[in-house]
Amino acid sequence: MSSYIIPILLILLIIYGSIKKVNVYQSFCYGAKNSVKLVYNIFPYICAIMLCVSLFRVSGLSDLLVNILSPLFNVLGIPQEVCELVLLRPFTGSGSLSVLESIISQYGADSYISRCACCILSSSETVFYVSAVYFADTKVKNIAPAITIALIGNIVGAIFSCLLCKIM
Amino acid sequence: MILSLITLIFCAPDLIINTMITESKNVVSLCINLIAIYAVWMGILEIVEKTGLSEKLAKILYKPIKKLFKIEDKEQIKYIALNLSANFLGLGNAATPSGIKAVKSMQSNLKQTKFAMLMLLVVNSTSIQLLPTTAIGLLANAGSTNSSSIILPTLIATIISTVVSVVLLIIYNRFKKSKNE
Repeated sequence: MSSYIIPILLILLIIYGSIKKVNVYQSFCYGAKNSVKLVYNIFPYICAIMLCVSLFRVSGLSDLLVNILSPLFNVLGIPQEVCELVLLRPFTGSGSLSVLESIISQYGADSYISRCACCILSSSETVFYVSAVYFADTKVKNIAPAITIALIGNIVGAIFSCLLCKIM
Repeated sequence: MILSLITLIFCAPDLIINTMITESKNVVSLCINLIAIYAVWMGILEIVEKTGLSEKLAKILYKPIKKLFKIEDKEQIKYIALNLSANFLGLGNAATPSGIKAVKSMQSNLKQTKFAMLMLLVVNSTSIQLLPTTAIGLLANAGSTNSSSIILPTLIATIISTVVSVVLLIIYNRFKKSKNE
């Protein structure tokens, strides 16, 4: 179903553009040209953030954090098996996706753990990546409170994912 | 960062530079992918803007955005409207360019838009997508008999997480204001 929505919207958009006498081809090219500039601008920030994240993982500090926090998460109703996913999620999208894949293949697609993990992944976002990209190249400095709040929100989302998967 | 480096110096010093270079390589290939993805979406977004559809979208979402973000500028509201709609559809990569444009346009009058910027960051980083297509795809591939059963719990969880964050940010803002006065 969902694979049809976007193409249909696209066709409608192009038809609408032609009716409105917009040069669709040139507009597209102009927008596409700007993508290079945009990525050029955000590259250093993504690079710096990802370097920190990978060092954090390789150094074993992230495992340490998982071990420290997992009892706390268990109290909140988040099973041990998905703790790594919850902690990794704010840092890397591709990394957490591969964790989700391994969880699914290990516990089976219909298990509570897998469904739980899917819910957690979909109800959260890569907070640090998003903030690095959005605030790259701006003068805004003090975004720490917003990041903290977003992290709390994601953990609340994870808690409810586990709870809801249990009862639904 | 420093903590990780110190730990590494004790445990595996030769890993440091290797890790950094490998990761940097990953970022370069990520960015090349991003250029491709953004080229498609920014091209489409440009058509959306040229046809005046984004203004229409902004008009529909004007009131709720004004209330939530506490800004009045038409241009900024337009970009935020685009960003939110792309997020709803689960097009995170299409949402990013308009989000960046929104932040950039808000930069000129920082004092008034500080709250709006933080709100944009919070809303974007708590995920508000309607259909968890990636997760459903993964489950279905792994042979799940009922992969769409996660839609409802995910939707509720993501709404809760976003609402909690938004409320927290509003409380934080009030708290800070009362402190300043």
